[in-house]
Amino acid sequence: MQSVKFRLNGNPVTLKTDPTRRFLDVLREDLSHTGPKEGCGEGECGACAVLIDGHITNSCILPLGNVDGRDVMTIEGYRETERYRVLEEAYIAEGAVQCGICIPGMIIASESLLHHNPSPTDDEIRIGLSGNLCRCTGYNMIIRAIKRAAERGKGLW
Amino acid sequence: MSNIHHSVPKIDASEKISGRMAYVADIRIDGMLHAKTVRSTEAHARIRDIRVPTLPEGYYVIDHRDIPGKNVVKMIFEDWPVFAVDKVHHIGEPIMLVVGPDKRVVQTLVDAIEIDYEPLESVFSMTESVIHYHYDKGDAEAAFKEADRIIAHEYDTGYQEQAYIEPQGFIGTYEDDRIHLIGSIQAPYYVKNAVIETMACAPEDIRVVQATVGGAFGGKEEFPSLIGCQLAVALKKIKKPIKLIYEREEDMDTTTKRHPSKTRIEGAIKDGKITALRTHIGIDSGAFIGLSGVVLSRAIIASTSAYTVDNLDISGDVYKTNTVPNGAFRGFGAPQMIYAVEMFFHHVAKELGVDVHAFRLKHLAKQGDRTSTSGLFRDPILMPEMIERACAMSDYHRKRKAYADPNVYKGIGMSWFLHGCGFTGSGEAEHIKAKVTLEKLASGLVHLRVAAVDMGQGAKTTLMKVAAETLGLPLERIVYDNPDTDLVPDSGPTVASRTAMVVGGLIARAAARLKDEWNDGEHQTITEQYTQPEYMAWNQDTFTGDAYPAYSWGVNVVEVEVDKTTLEVQVKNIWSTYDVGKSLDDNIVIGQADGGTAQGVAYGYLEVMRHHRGKLLQKNMTDYVIPTAVDMAKTETELFDNPFAFGPYGAKGAGELTLVGGAPAVALAIEMAIGERVHSIPATPEYLMEVLKNAKR
Amino acid sequence: MVSHAIPKTYAEALEILKDGTHRVVAGGTDMMVRNRAWAGLPPAFDKPLLFAFNLPELKYVRVDEKAIYIGSMTDLETLLHHEDTPSLLREVIGEMASPAIRYVSTLAGNIVNASPAADSLLALYALDAQIVLESVEGKRVLPIEKMILGPGKTVLDHDEIIAEIRMPKSSFTHTAFRKVGGRRADAITKVGFIGCAVVDDGIIRDLRLIFNAVAPTLVRVKSVEALHIGHAIEDVLDDIETITHHYAEHINPIDDQRSNRAYRKETALELARHFIKTLQ
Ligand SMILES: Cc1cc2nc3c(=O)[nH]c(=O)nc-3n(C[C@H](O)[C@H](O)[C@H](O)COP(=O)(O)OP(=O)(O)OC[C@H]3O[C@@H](n4cnc5c(N)ncnc54)[C@H](O)[C@@H]3O)c2cc1C
Ligand code: FES
Ligand code: FES
Repeated sequence: MQSVKFRLNGNPVTLKTDPTRRFLDVLREDLSHTGPKEGCGEGECGACAVLIDGHITNSCILPLGNVDGRDVMTIEGYRETERYRVLEEAYIAEGAVQCGICIPGMIIASESLLHHNPSPTDDEIRIGLSGNLCRCTGYNMIIRAIKRAAERGKGLW
Repeated sequence: MSNIHHSVPKIDASEKISGRMAYVADIRIDGMLHAKTVRSTEAHARIRDIRVPTLPEGYYVIDHRDIPGKNVVKMIFEDWPVFAVDKVHHIGEPIMLVVGPDKRVVQTLVDAIEIDYEPLESVFSMTESVIHYHYDKGDAEAAFKEADRIIAHEYDTGYQEQAYIEPQGFIGTYEDDRIHLIGSIQAPYYVKNAVIETMACAPEDIRVVQATVGGAFGGKEEFPSLIGCQLAVALKKIKKPIKLIYEREEDMDTTTKRHPSKTRIEGAIKDGKITALRTHIGIDSGAFIGLSGVVLSRAIIASTSAYTVDNLDISGDVYKTNTVPNGAFRGFGAPQMIYAVEMFFHHVAKELGVDVHAFRLKHLAKQGDRTSTSGLFRDPILMPEMIERACAMSDYHRKRKAYADPNVYKGIGMSWFLHGCGFTGSGEAEHIKAKVTLEKLASGLVHLRVAAVDMGQGAKTTLMKVAAETLGLPLERIVYDNPDTDLVPDSGPTVASRTAMVVGGLIARAAARLKDEWNDGEHQTITEQYTQPEYMAWNQDTFTGDAYPAYSWGVNVVEVEVDKTTLEVQVKNIWSTYDVGKSLDDNIVIGQADGGTAQGVAYGYLEVMRHHRGKLLQKNMTDYVIPTAVDMAKTETELFDNPFAFGPYGAKGAGELTLVGGAPAVALAIEMAIGERVHSIPATPEYLMEVLKNAKR
Repeated sequence: MVSHAIPKTYAEALEILKDGTHRVVAGGTDMMVRNRAWAGLPPAFDKPLLFAFNLPELKYVRVDEKAIYIGSMTDLETLLHHEDTPSLLREVIGEMASPAIRYVSTLAGNIVNASPAADSLLALYALDAQIVLESVEGKRVLPIEKMILGPGKTVLDHDEIIAEIRMPKSSFTHTAFRKVGGRRADAITKVGFIGCAVVDDGIIRDLRLIFNAVAPTLVRVKSVEALHIGHAIEDVLDDIETITHHYAEHINPIDDQRSNRAYRKETALELARHFIKTLQ
């Protein structure tokens, strides 16, 4: 079996396993990274989102084979960054977290969005989050949190 | 005046944001097995034969024959089997579990099991009544006789799926002859009590622990008892850890949903007022009754929503069909009825040719009025101010005129509503008898021993604030772990908007006592039990008296634009005012409001679920469409202080209230935009096209 | 046993495909969903996979005076932001899926998936896209409508891969794109439409009307378009019901979990009528 090599949160990983496996399963089962959640398993909800080379991707429909040679960041790595701290403060201050199952994915979406657009408008934030379903919050507090993070974290993105 | 409403950082937010919080699917136990459910593919059939392939070593099949106790899931109405025996009643009904270490093998076995069915006649229409309720207020018959005019209309609602982002699931272990279940649940003691019946065992043999819940909305009220019982049976037989997590499609296909309904309202009109209503609501329970009777109660009690009508003849039926069983969903029967009532008041005003707003104001309930069930609205009602404020916030009256132009495809709709807080009638006092315990350790830490579940609504933060505020301690001195039935008394399920008001009230009482009796360095335990406010008198047979100890109130205004070509609806803005007594944390209450309104509005125009001969057509998150951030409009919400004497710091319920007004507000806005009446929700473009076509004819 | 392959070069990929034993996976956003199994288990594929998404030789966007050339492994999000992407295609991609999907999905995947509701196909049909198929034997270039045979069916051979998508440069005086989905973002199309036209001095010089999700494949009827080209817009407007009449026979939608026949049909025709009315 061919091996798959990639970087995970800065560290090199080599795995000898079926490359058709869902990257989400590899993360959660082989690598004990349970920050990405499974909400739908069909790319619809974004709970399983991770960053591949800095872009948001849904790991539940990402075959491991496509991760070969790429740079992966999950919430486990991202939470060690300064940008994360700004986002966390903003999510808490705006009351953006309810049940929380969507939130690690929302943080990944927030990062991917701010990385490409450091001062997004409300509408741009809504589009940036359009692949991340939240059933609890109605999104408005999450949108406010991202605006707050964009302001307070000026220069970080 | 307490400043308790000032928001604090939610107690569990950081753990959730960072991905550290473990939900049930994140828990792994060494040597655990995986379970998968074998389900009926028929809507109604006799099981002739089941052929199970030879099981490899270490693999098991669990079915009704393994149940030591009763093959029924204990809930309100006990007709729901844990496993099917010789008949199946809906597609997806569980027949057995296949359990084993390797998912691949488990799946192969599930696929290899052959079941022979003898199809029986299925019922899909609301024809077979299994519960009928009726009540009167005043003398409706006389009022109809004296009426100047009688107007009748019918209203339909569809399914709504809770669509929590975390599917249902449990993990369980068997140790020292005890069954230990950890699950995504709203009601630890519902699960425990159900498992005791099924296992015919002693209460101490069962331990139920709530895992962090990734959304519930009623969907994890009674349904988890079914999974819990199945898993308990498997654990007892296999005696190894087992995990049972639903797939999204499985969850959508087989878990309870909001009951579809049909309501007919007939109004007697005299001197420009509605003097009597004769209303019948039918709800579709699906294959098992479960909680449907209680859902029906709440629906019929909501028959006048925020209005007072002196004469009522109200009835309802639960109809059984061979479809997926329906159950609890935020609002619990009220959304269906309140939608119908709001539409009806509008339609009547239009037919009478009078100003809708003035017409509705004439009927608005006031303090001192008799409720639908002839109880009393004892507390002040702030609706006139709340309505005025909502009108001002939304510029309602100007827009209403501007959008009357038939060439303008914009609309603005306003709903007024109330929600009875807590269980209906004497449920709280007679069935639940909630208890809470505060346990003060020698170190001075105070543990809240309650069965209330934080499923995102902020129960932990709110209840800890109540305890801290009353004890005069900082929040850090209060501990509130996820409930574990080994450690917490039964403070009731986390449902019916009762947690802040009832459980919070008990915590406040216990905390006040603890404060009085506080002894530094001593381990102290204080328990309080619910007692009903003395004024409450309720007769369940006649549906008369005070159905609820208190009511929360709300106003929603929704503005839409409808695309002329495609009839797609865009929600532009949502404004709301609420009276939840006293907010225990503004961010939390407004978060409830935002989320509840999103669900309520989407129920009115967006979320479609239908079945064809018992098979649901929308089977995953792609087909069952819930709002994205792009669909959800900006919200503006204001809270009105109206402290309730028996709630902690004056708090009433907030969780469900915020959902019930969304559908009528959006439906009324759509009605204004297209210039034709809406009688059915969700008001999809397909439905609007039909409405416009029929109008042309 | 033949096993899955993660080639490092395009040449290696073509070599592996030679015997027709492998199935190409691009972003996998269709394949992984379609073949999904119980969570935790790998999806069930009928053939070993060839992971092509990271092949550097297939990730490019080039232009010359005649056309735009898109390497087949270019992701949709890159196309959305690329300055050379034709604006109609950009508009369509902007309403496809969500950012998380667009970063890992491709035009080639959308083409081979050949769903009646595929969105990018609207633009590819409108812009007369040419599809470059390649195998070790060589290349062939097909117009998009020759590429697609029916739902999920294309002329792709077992040893072939889509190498490139080309679109001749085009310019229109009028364009319109509408995607009607179950919600305003991240939705599967219930009915979709693109109209583009060149109107010069009141005369229609070019007219293209394309519909999706209303028939087994996309609907573009060049013979009907031709009937109107060269005519004065006034005449066409006077006779607008004839156009809709012509399309009525090609638009044969179904009832399904997302919408119904009547809505799809009438909305499709209404979108076309509406577009033609804007040509004045
Ligand atoms: C949540 C979600 C939302 C979506 N929303 C939309 C939407 O709005 N509109 C829409 O049209 N689609 C949508 N899709 C479908 C899908 O994303 C698109 O069809 C996408 O373009 C597929 O690209 P891919 O690279 O992921 O294809 P893959 O899944 O990798 O491949 C699909 C098919 O194409 C074949 N294939 C791929 N590349 C090549 C090649 N170069 N040569 C030969 N064969 C090839 C594969 O063998 C396979 O048969 C959505 C999917 C998901 C999961
Ligand atoms: S679990 Fe991956 S998108 Fe929902
Ligand atoms: S916070 Fe519960 S789904 Fe988003």
